[in-house]
Amino acid sequence: MSEHHHDHLNATHTHDGKPIQNDEPPSIEAESLETAVRELLMEKGVITADELRGAIEAQEQRRPELGAKIIARAWVDEDFKQKLLSHGDMAVRSFGVDMKPTELCVVENTEEVHNLVVCTLCSCYPRAILGIPPAWYKRRDYRSRAVREPRSVLSEFGTIISEDRQVRVHDSNADLRYLVLPIRPSGTDDWSEEDLAELVTRDSMIGVAEAITPDG
Amino acid sequence: MRGPQDYGGLPAGLVDPVKNEHEPTHWERRVDAIMLLLFDPKRRLARVDESRRMQEALGDDYHKYPYYERWLQAITWLLLEKGVFTQEELDKKREEVRSRLEAERNG
Amino acid sequence: MDSKFIPGDKVRVIERSQPGHVRTPMYVRGKPGVIERIVGPQPNPETLAYGQSGLPYKMLYRVNFSQKVLWPDYEGQDNDSLEIEIYEHWLERI
Repeated sequence: MSEHHHDHLNATHTHDGKPIQNDEPPSIEAESLETAVRELLMEKGVITADELRGAIEAQEQRRPELGAKIIARAWVDEDFKQKLLSHGDMAVRSFGVDMKPTELCVVENTEEVHNLVVCTLCSCYPRAILGIPPAWYKRRDYRSRAVREPRSVLSEFGTIISEDRQVRVHDSNADLRYLVLPIRPSGTDDWSEEDLAELVTRDSMIGVAEAITPDG
Repeated sequence: MRGPQDYGGLPAGLVDPVKNEHEPTHWERRVDAIMLLLFDPKRRLARVDESRRMQEALGDDYHKYPYYERWLQAITWLLLEKGVFTQEELDKKREEVRSRLEAERNG
Repeated sequence: MDSKFIPGDKVRVIERSQPGHVRTPMYVRGKPGVIERIVGPQPNPETLAYGQSGLPYKMLYRVNFSQKVLWPDYEGQDNDSLEIEIYEHWLERI
């Protein structure tokens, strides 16, 4: 059990401020299968312990905070925003993100359109930017209903989209990975890029929520 | 003919944004990292599409597996299919690992 | 590689049953939509899934559908839409 101490077990809230529960340890079946596969791969020289450690560390760097920085840059820098919308892969390279073998497609929320991302067939997600997708994104309820009743699903996240805005759903089923560019909240004209990034939640980049509106 | 993974538009329950929401556990990260290494350009031992095909082959069992256990099962079958290790090697290793883990869990 | 369709073209997703690994979900099969953009040539996931090369590449498009066309009982607004990526061999002109 000792290696579980490296886990983020002390975290009690996500970036969105929602409480989190720590997952149960896997069943002995699952843990023994993973360990057996891993040890066989190492014994056969397919992967090394260093490579595995490196892959885990690299993956831990991919977090919604990275996406938030990208969005905040787009809010303050019009040229960057246009590049992000037209050539997403190239734009995020300056943040050290390599989208290969997929391509990044950034979709912009406006007063007219609200975008929502789902993968009905599996769980495709801009992992190179946001990391591992949330539990609900991978579950059947979201995957089944987001395409058919997006407004109801949005309301289950507490997000009400007015009738005069179009809801546009993106089913991420093939080679593109979608990132939503939320609307910059009003009253933030004089905010720094760093402070703006604090308003960008993971959920707002999937499209199930808007960016946080600051008080006052 | 609808595959078990093809959920789009099927009746389903309310979305619970908080249920089981957690930071990835170390075990999940390990499974994830093993997959990424197997799929990477250096090894290219498998493609993500092959892993999806294996998951879809689970049929009705697709729904029963937790997410990472499903991926783990799929890549295990792929590695067996590709002859990276044999079923016999896997069974032997797994038995050994299981006794070790049981001792750790009970200790 | 030439693309058979350009943005704005009206297309229909071919309604066929195909065994094996397919990235065209059931809910769009047989449904009419409009080409939103050309994504470009991509390896074919239907053969990649079996350990093959994915060659020849297939042209990939994003297709826009009206939600009311996808779901006759759709509860939202008339102009709500859905976009999804479809490979050229799954599309026919209408």
